[in-house]
Amino acid sequence: MTRITFITADGAETTVDATVGDSVMRVARDANVPGIAAECGGAKMCATCHVYVDEAWFDRVGAAPEDEQDMLEFAASEARETSRLSCQITLSPDLDGLVVHLPESQI
Amino acid sequence: MPLAPSDDQITIDALTWDPYPIYRRLRAEAPILRVNSIGRTILTKAADTRAVKDDPARFSSNDPTTPMARAFEAHTLMRKDGEAHMAERMAMAPTFSPKNLKTLWVPAYEKVLNDYLDRLPRDEVVDLFPALAGPLAARVLALILGLPGASDEDLQRWSQALIDGAGNFGYADEPFERVAKANKEMNALLEARVPQVKAAPDQTALSVMVNADRPIPMSQIVSNIKIAIGGGINEPRDALLTILFGLLTNPDQREALMESGEWNLAFEEGVRWVAPIQVSGRVALEDVEMRGVTIPKGDVVMTVQASANHDEELFDHPERFDVFRKKASHQSFGSGPHHCLGTHLARQTIGRIALPTIFERFPNMELVDPSKVVWKGFGFRGPLNLPVRLNG
Ligand code: HEM
Ligand code: HEM
Ligand code: FES
Repeated sequence: MTRITFITADGAETTVDATVGDSVMRVARDANVPGIAAECGGAKMCATCHVYVDEAWFDRVGAAPEDEQDMLEFAASEARETSRLSCQITLSPDLDGLVVHLPESQI
Repeated sequence: MPLAPSDDQITIDALTWDPYPIYRRLRAEAPILRVNSIGRTILTKAADTRAVKDDPARFSSNDPTTPMARAFEAHTLMRKDGEAHMAERMAMAPTFSPKNLKTLWVPAYEKVLNDYLDRLPRDEVVDLFPALAGPLAARVLALILGLPGASDEDLQRWSQALIDGAGNFGYADEPFERVAKANKEMNALLEARVPQVKAAPDQTALSVMVNADRPIPMSQIVSNIKIAIGGGINEPRDALLTILFGLLTNPDQREALMESGEWNLAFEEGVRWVAPIQVSGRVALEDVEMRGVTIPKGDVVMTVQASANHDEELFDHPERFDVFRKKASHQSFGSGPHHCLGTHLARQTIGRIALPTIFERFPNMELVDPSKVVWKGFGFRGPLNLPVRLNG
């Protein structure tokens, strides 16, 4: 079991249990965490599952590859260095405790 | 659990001309309803339409009861699921990459838009459907698909023939004859184009599919191009006309956007207000329980995104066009594995280019008479005309 903490733009925290192998997007949707729209269902096509990875975790998660960065430019909230599409982050055991921040808006 | 209630009152005509009051009533009284005139179960609440589209394991896009296969002379990606669907979708996806949008399609759109605005007559009433929105959508699509030789008129005629053929639930002869002729013309054009894009590959949809390392079969390439012709013209056309109507009938909002430049808000609100594609069909692969009823295996459900976009749980006064409303997700581009491939293209071109350009060039544009604008459509919906005076 791994745990992920989502922090909204206004600071509200939700921590949920997750299964290794799931994407961060899937975990958020299954737990009804608000603020992840994920319209394309994880196909890296919609940019409505945008998150900012917490600085402390960014090295372990890694930066977005180039095609993901291109898609992030279409995100509703500004893309930053720590931006990722949460459907492209697959949970591994070393991501236990992961913290991600939700942007102000996905649409 | 019981089956959903069924209805004998609602007619296709009523859904075609004035669906929103019906959907409002159904959201309140019967959000899952078997409508006998269309032989389908319609879902009108946002949570339900989204749940169905996000659940391809239980709700398939492969509805065998539509005339679509006959109209297209093939099975297209829209009607497929799982691996087969992804293979075809991914074959076309590179064309729509963010990089291609930015470097190729957005600049191409800007040029076509300005050319087509230049040729509009200035001092008489012009109907922006045939004079701008239709041809603009057709030309841009021709460039993206890799069919530069096809005329705007041909593309619009083929598109309408495909739509009428695929919607020919009465199986009348005329629409099938018209679409057969269109198919012949499209096949001939594609046959001529394939060697050309093989010789000189580019980022167009035809070229990307033909020149892939492991191309999908030619028959599928052809039918995917056709679906893009049938479905890639009317939505951007209807979206543009709908948004223009909204802004022209709400001068205060138009003024505010002229100041702020937030035209993307008008785009999102326009496609929410009147979704260019109003419904999406799915087939239940097993008995599914929802909201206290059983949707039986084999039932065809219509998820009505037009109604989801007016769900009072998400939107206050949903019937109003209000670009400044509180943000909430609309479903105009669908969701799940069939989520629209053209989403970003439509957003970038209509929202960020067409709207500011049109209102900057024609700041005094006026709608001649809002009551003369005719709205139509159950599956695809938009204004049939938009008569304006460009110089007010
Ligand atoms: C870009 C291409 C297209 C898109 C995005 C699109 C989208 C949709 C959507 C959302 C629906 C609702 C139901 C469903 O998914 O089964 C639909 C249904 C339908 N489409 Fe397509 N469509 C496209 C192309 C076409 C074309 C080219 C035609 C006609 C030639 C067509 C004909 C129809 C018809 C007749 C239905 C109603 C089917 C039913 O009642 O189940 N579509 N389309
Ligand atoms: C405002 C404009 C548009 C709207 C509102 C729109 C809406 C939609 C919707 C609702 C679907 C989902 C169909 C379903 O659930 O069965 C869809 C699918 C699709 N759209 Fe769009 N569309 C627009 C523009 C475009 C454009 C410009 C193109 C292409 C040039 C395009 C290409 C497609 C394709 C290929 C699919 C099928 C994807 C699949 O089945 O995997 N769309 N569109
Ligand atoms: S869910 Fe659409 S890009 Fe991640």
